[in-house]
Amino acid sequence: MLEAREFPPIFLCPVCKAPQLITSKYASTFLFIYQPPKSCQEVLLGITGKDFTLIAASKAAMRGATILKASDDKTRQLNKHTLMAFSGEAGDTVQFAEYIQANAQLYSMRNEADLSPSAMANFVRRELASSLRSRKPYMVNLLLGGVDPITDKPSLHWLDYLAALAPVPYAAHGYAQYYCLSILDKHHQPDIDLERGLELLRLCTDELKRRLPIDFKGVLVKVVTKDGIREIDYDDSKQVQSA
Amino acid sequence: MPGFDFSNHARNAALHAQGFPLPKATSTGTTIVGCIFDGGVVIAADTRATSGPIVADKNCEKLHYISPQIWCAGAGTAADTEFTTALISSQLELHALSTGRNPRVVTCMTMLKQHLFQHQGHIGAYLVVAGVDPTGVGLFTVHAHGSTDKLPYVTMGSGSLAAMSVFETQWKSNIDREGAIKLAADAIQAGIFNDLGSGSNVDVCVITKEKTTLMRNYIRPNERERKQRSYVFKRGTTAVLREKVVERVDIGKYVTVHEVPLEAEGEKMEVDA
Amino acid sequence: MSSPFSINGGACVAMVGKDCVAIACDLRLGLQSLTVSNNFPKIFPYGDVYLGLTGLATDVATVSDLLRYKVNLYRLREERAISPQTLANLVSSSLYERRFGPFFVSPVIAGINHTTGKPFICGFDSIGCIDFAKDFIVSGTASDQLFGTCEGLWEPDLAPEDLFETISQALLNAVDRDALSGWGAHVYIIEKDKVTKRLLKGRQD
Repeated sequence: MLEAREFPPIFLCPVCKAPQLITSKYASTFLFIYQPPKSCQEVLLGITGKDFTLIAASKAAMRGATILKASDDKTRQLNKHTLMAFSGEAGDTVQFAEYIQANAQLYSMRNEADLSPSAMANFVRRELASSLRSRKPYMVNLLLGGVDPITDKPSLHWLDYLAALAPVPYAAHGYAQYYCLSILDKHHQPDIDLERGLELLRLCTDELKRRLPIDFKGVLVKVVTKDGIREIDYDDSKQVQSA
Repeated sequence: MPGFDFSNHARNAALHAQGFPLPKATSTGTTIVGCIFDGGVVIAADTRATSGPIVADKNCEKLHYISPQIWCAGAGTAADTEFTTALISSQLELHALSTGRNPRVVTCMTMLKQHLFQHQGHIGAYLVVAGVDPTGVGLFTVHAHGSTDKLPYVTMGSGSLAAMSVFETQWKSNIDREGAIKLAADAIQAGIFNDLGSGSNVDVCVITKEKTTLMRNYIRPNERERKQRSYVFKRGTTAVLREKVVERVDIGKYVTVHEVPLEAEGEKMEVDA
Repeated sequence: MSSPFSINGGACVAMVGKDCVAIACDLRLGLQSLTVSNNFPKIFPYGDVYLGLTGLATDVATVSDLLRYKVNLYRLREERAISPQTLANLVSSSLYERRFGPFFVSPVIAGINHTTGKPFICGFDSIGCIDFAKDFIVSGTASDQLFGTCEGLWEPDLAPEDLFETISQALLNAVDRDALSGWGAHVYIIEKDKVTKRLLKGRQD
């Protein structure tokens, strides 16, 4: 049996303190829990308002230091009024998101009713929590935005790769947390309209452009309202002057 | 026995490999002793439970019931001593029922050691087993790895050295009941006052052929004084933002338990004749 | 690197009064030093018995869900509400089942036994060892501080209104000395025929 000291040294991410590398020799023997370094640089943002939930996700698809694509969509629609955004280990993310998407659609077909956003969040949490106890867990951070089809109340759920779930008025994942949460702490109100929501999002993305060391290729913005989910034209071309 | 569920083990091993420490279990950094006398046996224990340097429980029970005439004192990981003795107690009762005989102390000791040996020391239970059965008086120690001893007086736990010093200086053969109780209680007090892992009160259990006497808090040398003044805050000190009161009569609104009328008209369930 | 018990932060405390019990928790959910949510309650009701869970947030959710499932099954099978003592043994055996792969939680139970009418509180370590206490139980990243405040402020036979002030001040002043706990609090005062839930004003730093 392997002892703890036989593991190779682990390097920690300076910001998220998550281990960055474990050699593959051990990967097959033990499950390892770490956040891949690039997931810190992926941007996920969520803002709720009076009657909407905004979700923004960076458009860069990265592999190591290379940007493979500048129009990546890190979101999946689960049902008419629930949208899930994801970041994390390549492969895991899309695999997990589409697995959830398929199950959500199956539920809607079987029951002729959609799961509410909070029910969906608890379902996703359960799946992620049981995956965490398997040999190879999914390494995905998630934001679930939705509008309850019965009460018309908007909601946002924050889920990390350890399957910790929290309902929140606004949320972020990765490095974006450190820049955006403080901005939203100051400016967010629960009763804002979509226009103000987009203004807040602009404050956030401008700050990210100003301070993040890498180009995340702008964000894809989607909004959930009681009428469903739609993409919002979001102008990313403006150059932001760094401080 | 259904056995343990290992489904979190891989995850936790990985966390441990990343440098996360293992969770702190409540341990009975303990003094426990046992001593036989003419016609019976006495076991005793302190009542402190610790978690690292913190005293988690100032008056816990370390004397565990196995059968009416067999009792066990436990040291080591508190949850392990609790569940191991409960498990063996249950198995021994079934054994006694199926054989129609009173359980023996050696049987209990053997079941404990086999269970602990099977788990290779991972179940951190260190026990003193004592009792009276048809073959006579029994007193044993069982270690977490499965080894056992049979001695006229025994001590275990972090305070075992302090307690043993009392036995080694004061024990004599053909000691009587009162002498044995005093000796055991003195040994525990040596642990309480000289070992940091042990403290609070002395629990004693005396087992003879006729009866078992559990003397919970036999000696309480560390009673806390009542506070000399009251530290109650003036009502309204704490700022409250929201308040909700649920009356017991309304609890049905929150918990879905309703009395169903037994013979609802026209809805009798069909049953086979 | 920190222990799984102190990644997310949080604190919980239970106290006994005269014919009443109280249980309280903070509301913070964090990732190390970053606060993610300030509305993450750690007390879960099971009928009129209350369970507080601190530790790793994912396990707090998993264990609370698992016990809700088990308590619901108990209620269906037995056709009666679960007593605090029974819940304590259910929690204990559920945790010890995972002796070699524990959930990283420190549970606390508070309730009044409906048959005897006696107040009951207890706490557990992560592998299910029960700590029966006559006074108070603490858990979470602020447990050291809570031990201090409770030891100083608690006294026997407090009336429900006084118990509320005592437990609230014990919790608020403890979490103010813990960077990983705080950001508001929930307090439940459980009496024989009613339960009062209060949201406290706490420091937001």
